[in-house]
Amino acid sequence: MPDGSEVLALFDDEAVAAAQPRSEGRARRPAQQLAEPGLSPESAISVATLTLATRDIIEGAVEPLWVRGEVVGLKEHRKGHWYFTLKDENAQIRCVMWATDARRMLAAPDEGMTITALGKLTVYAGRGELQLRILRIEASGDGLWRKAFEKVHKKLEAEGLFAIERKRPLPMLPACIAVVTSTDGAALHDIVSVVRRRCPITRIVVAHAAVQGDGAAGSLVAALHRVARWGQADIVILGRGGGSREDLWAFNDERVVRAAAGMPVPVIAAIGHEVDVTLCDLAADVRAATPSAAAEAAAPQLSELLRHVKRLGNDLRDAALAQVESARERLAVAGVSVARAASHPLERRRLLIEGMAGRLHALSPLATLGRGYSVLMRDDGTPVTTIDAVAPGDQVVARLQDGMIHARVERKESLDEEISQ
Amino acid sequence: MSFEKKVQRLEEIVRALESRDLSLEKGLKLFEEGITCLRDASAELSKAEAAVQVLRERTDGILEATDLRA
Repeated sequence: MPDGSEVLALFDDEAVAAAQPRSEGRARRPAQQLAEPGLSPESAISVATLTLATRDIIEGAVEPLWVRGEVVGLKEHRKGHWYFTLKDENAQIRCVMWATDARRMLAAPDEGMTITALGKLTVYAGRGELQLRILRIEASGDGLWRKAFEKVHKKLEAEGLFAIERKRPLPMLPACIAVVTSTDGAALHDIVSVVRRRCPITRIVVAHAAVQGDGAAGSLVAALHRVARWGQADIVILGRGGGSREDLWAFNDERVVRAAAGMPVPVIAAIGHEVDVTLCDLAADVRAATPSAAAEAAAPQLSELLRHVKRLGNDLRDAALAQVESARERLAVAGVSVARAASHPLERRRLLIEGMAGRLHALSPLATLGRGYSVLMRDDGTPVTTIDAVAPGDQVVARLQDGMIHARVERKESLDEEISQ
Repeated sequence: MSFEKKVQRLEEIVRALESRDLSLEKGLKLFEEGITCLRDASAELSKAEAAVQVLRERTDGILEATDLRA
């Protein structure tokens, strides 16, 4: 790449000589002789020819150069082009960044921001001005990144996308966890091994997405939409392993953040390392420090759930037992012999108690309690649950473990009357 | 009903049965419901080990989950 002095040398010695007449040139060649373009009044060239020739020479002679300067007077054209001046203490140059290049930038630089820009030197013929066509801008420090982040952050925050009230709880036992990440990444491996270890019955479905580089944002959005449309996931883990700020940038893309926030089921974000906070992290229902931590949050420890359910089973049995015992005590207080006729109203209660005890039978190790229970039904098979359901003389059927007893109601008494006697 | 709902219901039932002011009929009914919840919840926890799959969109637009290469 030529340095400044070489550029000037080119300009002076070869290039301009062809386009721009100089006094010594004119002195050497007589004016009346038909000369090469621009070397005599008769062969004078147009301004357009001059500027365009200059442009060609400059463009041909100078490779793109990195230039550092302060941004002044930036204007954004409605078609997306940026016009500004780069200046330092003693010099300035007009700059243009075409929309196709500007679009790739995170944000437009602020007034007065010092930037380092890669530009191709050219001439703007319309004004006869030297111009730098900017191809890329690297913000000095992290100015542009922060600016772009804050711009989207501010917009989405105003819409309430990051609000605490939007956060949903995670299901206790997800039947299916969808993972939106790259199938080639380490993140997937980490997530799969943690879920397998903690809860092997949970299904893992991966929706592959490019997680960095051009097209990553679109790819992530498509993967999230795929999962939403599929509709079988109970939780979504959105993530990737650590990387540079550029690598993680797609997770700050407005479209990706919106897609994550719009998922029908809770989203756990695990993007990069603990220190990296992307907008997707803020929009997710849960933010995990790493992909492994996301998997731990999503997948319950199966052994703990089993213990919990077993404990509930024991509690259920104990509570039912206590009910049966207290009902038996009440019967005993009433002084009723269980050997009495089935038509006795207290017998109905006994049947209920024994029915309950019989159900307890289903829960080992309480088989002994189930002994000798029966259920009283009317002859059409409907269970008799209150004395009002039968009248003296009605036919009833008592079902026992090994068969039925057909009987007739002789007399009814309310339990309360009996006890109060 | 989700696993979570079943467990929650089971917890409610246990609490209700633990309270003394419950008719025997109501108790029996609750107990039977509890047994059903318990059986269902246990069944869910004893499902077979699940596969790791990839969600793909076929050319006809239908989404399908196929096993990830081992």
